[in-house]
Amino acid sequence: MNLKDISTSVPKKDHKGKVSGQLPYISDVKVENMVYGVLYRSPIAYGKIISIQLPNLPDGYEAVGAEHIPGPNYVKIIKEDQPIFANEWVNYIGEPILMLTGKDLDILYSLLNEVKVEFEEHQAIYTLDEAIKQKSVSLVLASYEFGESLENISAIEQGAHQIIEEEYDTGYQEHVYLEPQGMLAVYKDDEIVVQGSMQCLYYIKNALLSALACGDDEVRVVQSPTGGGFGGKEDYPSMMACHVAVAARAVKKSVMLVFDRSEDMLVTTKRHPAKLKYRTALDKEGNILSMYVDIFLDGGANVGLSSVVLQRALLNSAGVYKIPHFHAKGYVLKTNTVPNGAFRGFGAPQSFAGIESHIGHLSKLAKIDPLAYKRKYLVKQGDPTITKGKFRDPILVEEMIEDVLNVSEYKKKKEDFQRLNQQNQRYKKGIGTSLFLHGCGFTGSGERDHIKAKVKLVKSKDDQVSLKISNSDMGQGILTTLCKIVAKELNLPFEDILYPYPDTKEVPDSGPTVASRTTMIVGKLLERAAKKLKNQWQTGVEQEVVEHYVHREMIPWDEKTFTGDAYPAYSWGVNIVEVEVDTLTGNLKLEKVYGNYEVGKVIDERIMKGQIDGGLAQGLAYGYLEKMTSKQGRIQQKSISDYGPPTSLDIVSIESKVFDNPYADGPYGAKGAGELTLIGGAPAVQAAIEDALHTSFQQIPITPEVIIESLWMKEGEEG
Amino acid sequence: MIEKITAYRFERLDETLSQLNREDCAIIAGGTDVMVLHKSRRGVPPKIPKPIVFINHLSELKQVYQHHKDLHIGACCTYSELLENPLIPFALKNAIKTIAAPAIRNRGTLGGNICNASPAGDMLPLLYVYNAKLLLRSVNGDRMVAISDFIQGPRQVQRFHNEMVTEIILPFVLGDSHVVFEKVGNRNADTIAKVSFAGFVRISKDRIDDIRFAFGAVGPTMVRSIDIEKKLIGKTIPLADADIAEIVAAFDKIIRPIDDQRSTAAYRKTVALHLLRYFLSMKQYQPN
Repeated sequence: MNLKDISTSVPKKDHKGKVSGQLPYISDVKVENMVYGVLYRSPIAYGKIISIQLPNLPDGYEAVGAEHIPGPNYVKIIKEDQPIFANEWVNYIGEPILMLTGKDLDILYSLLNEVKVEFEEHQAIYTLDEAIKQKSVSLVLASYEFGESLENISAIEQGAHQIIEEEYDTGYQEHVYLEPQGMLAVYKDDEIVVQGSMQCLYYIKNALLSALACGDDEVRVVQSPTGGGFGGKEDYPSMMACHVAVAARAVKKSVMLVFDRSEDMLVTTKRHPAKLKYRTALDKEGNILSMYVDIFLDGGANVGLSSVVLQRALLNSAGVYKIPHFHAKGYVLKTNTVPNGAFRGFGAPQSFAGIESHIGHLSKLAKIDPLAYKRKYLVKQGDPTITKGKFRDPILVEEMIEDVLNVSEYKKKKEDFQRLNQQNQRYKKGIGTSLFLHGCGFTGSGERDHIKAKVKLVKSKDDQVSLKISNSDMGQGILTTLCKIVAKELNLPFEDILYPYPDTKEVPDSGPTVASRTTMIVGKLLERAAKKLKNQWQTGVEQEVVEHYVHREMIPWDEKTFTGDAYPAYSWGVNIVEVEVDTLTGNLKLEKVYGNYEVGKVIDERIMKGQIDGGLAQGLAYGYLEKMTSKQGRIQQKSISDYGPPTSLDIVSIESKVFDNPYADGPYGAKGAGELTLIGGAPAVQAAIEDALHTSFQQIPITPEVIIESLWMKEGEEG
Repeated sequence: MIEKITAYRFERLDETLSQLNREDCAIIAGGTDVMVLHKSRRGVPPKIPKPIVFINHLSELKQVYQHHKDLHIGACCTYSELLENPLIPFALKNAIKTIAAPAIRNRGTLGGNICNASPAGDMLPLLYVYNAKLLLRSVNGDRMVAISDFIQGPRQVQRFHNEMVTEIILPFVLGDSHVVFEKVGNRNADTIAKVSFAGFVRISKDRIDDIRFAFGAVGPTMVRSIDIEKKLIGKTIPLADADIAEIVAAFDKIIRPIDDQRSTAAYRKTVALHLLRYFLSMKQYQPN
C-alpha cells in the first residue's frame, strides 16, 4: 500500500495477532528451567523490620531477598529511595520484602502464608491532608515555585474588589491496562534476558545494570507484546525487572513474575491524588487581576517520578489562559501509601480539572457564560507562557471552539435544558465545556540533556528495511504509525517495513515511550533517517543509518528558576459534554460528547480516533465514575467492578474532529496526541454536572455519593 | 501438583437427586458465582471443597409454563433464555437487563441467583415483591418455601444438602399491577448493586388493594415489611403527603446499610428512601 496522504488508515501491524488471540503476551510464555516468583509484601504501612523467619522450603523452592542483590538495593529511577527488597524499613502496605521461587504456584502461595516477619510498627501518614497538616520538611519529596513576585501579588490583592479562594481535590486513578504487569528473566550463564510488558526498555536496562552491578553485555531487555500501559508500565516495570533478574541470578533459573488483577490494583502505581488551592483577585466586573496557585501531590511512599509529575502539573496550572500576575508553588508530599507514578497526562489532568473548575466558578461570579469568560483569557500565538517561554506556533483553538459550538448547538441546548429541567423534577440535563492543551515531549531540556535519542534503520541484503528503536507499542499503534512514516519517505509499501519488538541488544536508546514524544520526536528522527537511507540507497547491499536528536534552541529551560520554554510544541483540544443527572440517585448519564483537537498532523486517522475515544473515556471516567480509595494505607478497590471503569453502556459515541496545523519539527507536521485526549474529559463533565444542578463542586470524581450529599444531605435528611 | 476433582453430570434430574442424597455436593448451574467464590490466586484453579454436580443442562429445570395461572420458571433457565421468553413479565426482564453483561447472562441462572443469596442479588427485590415461592425437590419429595423464608442471610439458604431448587413460582395476581425495579450501581453494566428497589402496587378505582416494597443491598437480606405495607391498603391515589412521610419514616427506621468499598451507608439509605418516596408519589400507576 502506497499512501498519498499519510493520514489515510491502514490495517494495524499487530491487528491479526490481537484479533485472533494468537499473539502471546508475557504470561503465555514458558521457557525451559523456569520457576515462578511470588512476593512477600509488607502487611503494615510504616515500620522497621526486626526479623524474618522463613518456613522450611521444599526442594526446588528458594527465597530471594535484599542479600541477593549484587548492586545497591534500590530501583534506579531518579532518586535512590525505592528499595528493590525492603530490608530495614517498610513504607507502605504491599512493599516487597522478599520473593519465593519454585515450580508450583499453589505451593508458593501456601509457603507465602508461612513467612513470618516481625516489625516495629511506627505511626504512618495515610492521607495527603494529614501530610499537609504536618508541615514537616521531611515529608517534602519535591517542590518548585515560580511566577510573579509575591509582593506584587499582595499589592494587587490589596487593591482588588474581591478575592476568591477555592480548594480543589482530585482522587486516585488506576490505569486498568487490559494486561496486568508481568516480567520474565531468562537465565543464561553469561546473560540475563528480561522480557515483559513495558514502555521503557532502557529505564529497565539501566535499573538492571545498577541492581546486578554487571557489564553492559550481561543484561538484555526485550519488550513483549504489551496490552496497555497508560504510564503504568513506565516506571513500575523497573522494579519487577529487578525482582526477576536478581532472583534469576540467585537461583540460576528463569523466573516469571506475573500479577493477577487484584495484586496489580493493590500495589502498582496510580495517578497522584492532588489538592489544588487557588487565590484569585477580581475587579468589580469579575475580571481576573492576579492568581496564586498551590499544588500538593500525594507522592505515596517514595518519590519515583513524582518530581517530574509535579513539574507538569505546575506548567499546566494556568490552563490555556493568559492570566495576569500569576504565581504558582507545588509540593510532592510523602505518605505511607502505594507509590504514585506516571499516568497518561502526568500531572496535567489534575491541574486542568482544577483550573477549569476555578475559571468556571469565576465566570458564575461575573455572570458570564463559562465559555465566553474562558475565551477572554485564551492564549494567542506569540503570547508568553507562565514560565516566560513563548507560544510560537499558530493556535487554532478559537476556530475549534466555533466549530464545536455549531456542531453541538451549544446555545440552543443551554436554553432547551433550562426549560426541560423546570418540567422534570427527577432528571436534570446540563452541558459543559473544557479547553486544554498538552505540551509535547519531555519537559524543558530533557530531550537534549537526559534522553539524547538515537534511532537506527537497517536494510538487509534483500532490501528489507527494519526500524531499530527502543519504543514500545502498548496498543497506541506505533508499530503502524512509525512504519508508515518510514514507508512514505522511502516510497515503499507500508507492509514491507519491519518493526520487530525491540531488544536492547539490537536497538539504540531512542528514549522511553512516554510524554506524547514518540510520534513527534522519534517519528521525526525516523523521517530524517529514512531520507538519509533513500539518498544512500544501494540495491542488494546491507545498509545502516543512524540519526541523533537535534535540539532546536528556544528560550532555554532552567529547572531551578522554572523559566524558559517548557515544551517545544503544544497540542490543543476542546470538549463539550452533555449529561443527564438523576437527582434521586445521583447517577449520571452521558448524553453527547464532542471533541475537537489539533495535533499538528494525523499520522493515521483510525489510530487517532482510537486515542480520542479511549482517552476521552478515561478522562470522563476520571471526572465522575472511577473511584479508588485508600483506608489506613490499604487500597479498597481490588477488582475492576468495584473500581468501575466505564463499559460500552456508559460511554456514548464521541463526535470528534481533528484540525490540521503542521508543526515544523514533527514528522509530516505531527505533534503529540496520546495524552491530550484524556485531559479535557473530567473538567467538561464537571462543568456539565454543575450546569444541570446549578451547584458547584470542588472535587473529582463527582460520584453519585458526592452529588447526593451536595443535593440532599446538607439540607437535612430527606430535604 | 495434580489434584483430583470429582464431578457429576447426570442426564436426568432424578439421578442427580439420588447422588445429592448420597453425598454433599457443590451444585453448579451457571457457575458464575461458585467459580468466583472459590477463586484462587493467579495460576491456581478454583478450590471447591466438595464434589461438583452440574445441573445446567437438565431439561427438567429449564421449563417455563403457567399452571393454575401461576408462572413456573425452571431454576436453570439462564437470564438470556428468560429475556427471550414471552411468559416472563416485563419488569423481570428489565431487571435481567441490568445483570452483568451478555456473557454472564448466557451462563447465570435465576435459581443460582437465589441460592447464592447475595445481599445485592439483582433478581431478589422483584422476586420478594412478587411473593415468589420456591419448589425444592429431593428423593423424599417436594416442598414449597416462600423466598423470604428460604433466604436467611448472606449466602445462607434453607436448603438441605439433598435438595435442589427446581422451580421459582410467581403466584397469580388478580387484576392489573404496576411493578418497578431500579438498580443503582456504579456504572451501567458489570456492576454490583449499591442499592436496589422493587415496588409493586395493585389498584382498583383509585384505591390501593395491594402494595409491596423490597430493598436490596441495604441489609444482610432484602428488606421488606408487610406491616408497613398494610398501612397503605385502602388508601386512595395520589397518596397524601402525610401518608408518604409516615411510610418513608417507617423504612428509615429499619433500613440499616453499611459502608464498604462500593458506597457509603449514608448514600445507600438516602437513595433507598428517595426511590421509595418517588414510587409513592406517583400520580398514577400504569399496569405493566
